[in-house]
Amino acid sequence: MRAVDGVSFDIAAGERRGVVGESGSGKSVTAMSIMRLIEPPAGEIVTGTIDFQGTNLLAMPEDDMQDVRGGKIAMIFQDPMTSLNPVYTIGDQLMETIMLHQHVNKHDARDIAAQALDDVHIPGPQTVLDDYPHQFSGGMRQRVMIAMGLSCNPDLLIADEPTTALDVTTQAQIMDLMLQLAADRGTAVMLITHDLGVVAGFCDTIQVMYAGGIVESGTAQEIFGDPQHPYTWGLLGSMTRLDESHAERLHSVRGAPPSLINPPRGCRFNPRCDFVQDICRASYPALRTSGGDDQLAACHFAVDLDLKTIDVREGSTT
Amino acid sequence: MLAYIIRRLVYGVVTLLALSLVVFLLIQASGGGPLDRLKLNPRMAPVIAQLTEQWGLDKPIMQQYFTWLRNFVTPTDVASAAGLTVIFGKIGIQGIMPIVTIVIAGAYTAWAFLAKINQSWWRAFRAFSIVFVWVIGLWLAKSRIVFSLSWGDSFRGDGAVWDNIFGAAGATFRLGITALLLALLIGIPLGIFQAIRQYSFFDQVGTTLSFIAFSTPIFIIAIGFQLLLALYLEKWTGVKLFFVTGMTDPGYNDLGFMAQIGDVVRHLVLPALSIALISIASYSRFQRASMLEVMHSDYLRTAKAKGLPRRRVILKHALRNALIPIVTLVSLDVAGIIGGAIITESIFGWPGVGRLYIQAINAVDYPTVMAVVMSIGIGIVIMNIVADILYGVLDPRVRYD
Repeated sequence: MRAVDGVSFDIAAGERRGVVGESGSGKSVTAMSIMRLIEPPAGEIVTGTIDFQGTNLLAMPEDDMQDVRGGKIAMIFQDPMTSLNPVYTIGDQLMETIMLHQHVNKHDARDIAAQALDDVHIPGPQTVLDDYPHQFSGGMRQRVMIAMGLSCNPDLLIADEPTTALDVTTQAQIMDLMLQLAADRGTAVMLITHDLGVVAGFCDTIQVMYAGGIVESGTAQEIFGDPQHPYTWGLLGSMTRLDESHAERLHSVRGAPPSLINPPRGCRFNPRCDFVQDICRASYPALRTSGGDDQLAACHFAVDLDLKTIDVREGSTT
Repeated sequence: MLAYIIRRLVYGVVTLLALSLVVFLLIQASGGGPLDRLKLNPRMAPVIAQLTEQWGLDKPIMQQYFTWLRNFVTPTDVASAAGLTVIFGKIGIQGIMPIVTIVIAGAYTAWAFLAKINQSWWRAFRAFSIVFVWVIGLWLAKSRIVFSLSWGDSFRGDGAVWDNIFGAAGATFRLGITALLLALLIGIPLGIFQAIRQYSFFDQVGTTLSFIAFSTPIFIIAIGFQLLLALYLEKWTGVKLFFVTGMTDPGYNDLGFMAQIGDVVRHLVLPALSIALISIASYSRFQRASMLEVMHSDYLRTAKAKGLPRRRVILKHALRNALIPIVTLVSLDVAGIIGGAIITESIFGWPGVGRLYIQAINAVDYPTVMAVVMSIGIGIVIMNIVADILYGVLDPRVRYD
């Protein structure tokens, strides 16, 4: 099974990139591949290159890769409740990373760790260092994870649905905090989410993933203002908007994501697309410039379709 | 925590009372009596009458039970040659104990220091408390101020049950502790390696072998070892490496110090290995399963994403979590040591509690049977409490209330 296939993208220094898509679209696998955390028998990276500051991470020896992980590229995971080791103190887990990458002694590491906790607005950081993860709420644990991720000033922070498991009021705080800290340090962020609202608020650029591939990418403005791919359009249509009346039913993308074990022929979105033509079932559309200057879409009709003028809501109900 | 331990001990006493009553009634219901063998001889009639009177066998069952219970919990005078002195005397622990004390405390302190543990003064205190306990134990053993219970007299006419059991306990502990150490030192690392290399050739072979060992009855393993490693080994190669019976050679006392150690080891290997093999199988299977579960956990992914070397990920982050489920298993095995290895001790002619137990059952010597059963029961109750405390040490989420 190919969980991710033919995905290619660049993230500039300091860029905030949103990666959007349904569950199983390959977002997390892409992120895990960058960190080289995909291990047999779960899976393997068959081919490709991952260039990070001029070095191909896939060709790197494991020892050097360990310096990259946590040091230059940090990752924050979805579920803060289970992402911290329950049997070690927060200080122990934070200091471990700091001592490993910054080569400082235990005493200095403790100061850096306390500072990192202070940066994520955890009160009383010195005492918190001796506490265990189970003594904290999900939001606080995610702050700890962010502190851990940013404590070594990485160049890229990969956040894999960092707020999905949190309640809504905490979500916004955590996102604000994370992106503020990243901006202060000039850290590039790759934000993986299925929450378009989050992406709209925080990201410079967006890539939409579907069934293991990128279907559309561009700046946030381009994607939200002039979506080129029917799937993107469907995602945007399925968002609730506070500035519109709620008289109409929310749009939903009909059907379910395809099985990657036996993907549909041609365009992978074709079984769910409202504009499907014969060519969509025959050949796989390549990403090509469409719409805005930086915008790419993988649809045979990307340029021809003016999605805004077609009322898909009617089409989807038939 | 103290309140928790006291509460658990109270529950334990209730459990033990229930256990004693059930076992006592079962023995009574099993038919046959301790004096049946004498009845074959008509001239023994007056002896039988006298013993029946003396042991109270003509009394109602419940009265016999309470008599037994009173005997069981009544302390005798300060023991002269009973109790701990017997164990320590047999193992010769007076000589070894100071060294073991220093080694354990030293290793513990060194570990706390090397692992750069927080609150190191607390660790140091705990290391010190180990020394303290050992010194107290040493003093008790030396000064022969030993608590002893009467536990009644054996029906086989060989003296006080307490003395018999503690006399056999040295042999049983020697065998049991050796087997347990073997099982821990081999079984747990084996399970860890199998989990790390899941589905590798090593893992497959290990899983198959542990399945076979786990499902083979102990008497087959024991006799198999006797045949292969003692009898045929000697027959084919002419090397007499291991002994198949007894704890020491008859001429043990005439041997030199090194020869004595060699003699003890050569007697110990086969029975210890027989018992250990099954434990190795079960420990490695449990350890493999719990390790695999931990290896797929989110916090292990976090540990890898932090850039920790694989070794550190496994030894630090995975191992401690993976050991938690094993604690119960090992604790109950430790409790099992007290009862001795009944079958193995019989096969290898090992003069331990297990063999005593079988002999007592055959003779319907119920003070001894009851004492062995109760010893196992007490061991299980205590080890359950120890296991719960160990949980708290390994897992900070565990709270006692």
